[in-house]
Amino acid sequence: MYSPNDQMRLARAYVPFQIYSERLNPMEGLMKGTIFPELYFPYREHKR
Amino acid sequence: MWVYEKKLQYPAKVGRANLQMAKYLITQYGGPDGELAAALRYLTQRYNMPTPQAKGILTDIGTEEMAHLEIIATLVFKLMERATVDEIKRAGLGGYYADHDKSLFYVNGDGVPWTAAYIQAKGDPVADLHEDMAAEEKARATYQWLIDLSDDPDLNDTLKFLREREIVHFQRFGETLQIVQEYIDCKKVY
Repeated sequence: MYSPNDQMRLARAYVPFQIYSERLNPMEGLMKGTIFPELYFPYREHKR
Repeated sequence: MWVYEKKLQYPAKVGRANLQMAKYLITQYGGPDGELAAALRYLTQRYNMPTPQAKGILTDIGTEEMAHLEIIATLVFKLMERATVDEIKRAGLGGYYADHDKSLFYVNGDGVPWTAAYIQAKGDPVADLHEDMAAEEKARATYQWLIDLSDDPDLNDTLKFLREREIVHFQRFGETLQIVQEYIDCKKVY
């Protein structure tokens, strides 16, 4: 479990800010749906 | 005001006509967690957002959802193109055909028409942004179940692109939520 930092209060949702690092080239970004590798979470298909 | 490009945001290819898949996929057109609901939700909630960044992100994402609506329409159209009435009947789309022929209409996979009851504009930006984040997750899950239902690699390629966009939108709404919450906290100090 993540430990809450002092700035966080109860009964509130938090999403961390994305910090810009690297980006994919435009064509690879288009194919993947994002130019940010840290936001790319492909779906692993269910077994039929 | 919008400026539009006469091309799709991402290619909408299908490997073959597939009426069963058209019936499933149409839920992303006019279903409860579909692209129409997303676009109309964000584009109406934006007026009540308290910061320019929040107004901007709802306008941007609402606009992109219109582009996704167009992709879904193209895919459903291609899946149904050239189908005969007998094939339509066999796929369980006879009821759809009676009402719409093969034109695109805003319904879910069972033919239930789109309704504004799917969306909300609450007047509370924190509540609205939570709805928007939930909407992105529900749309992501819908794309996953559609990918499970489909055996068409071309169709799945486009569905995977659209699914990934939901994840990026969730991140942007999450960042917007922090900005809006901080803004509201600051205002309370005075």
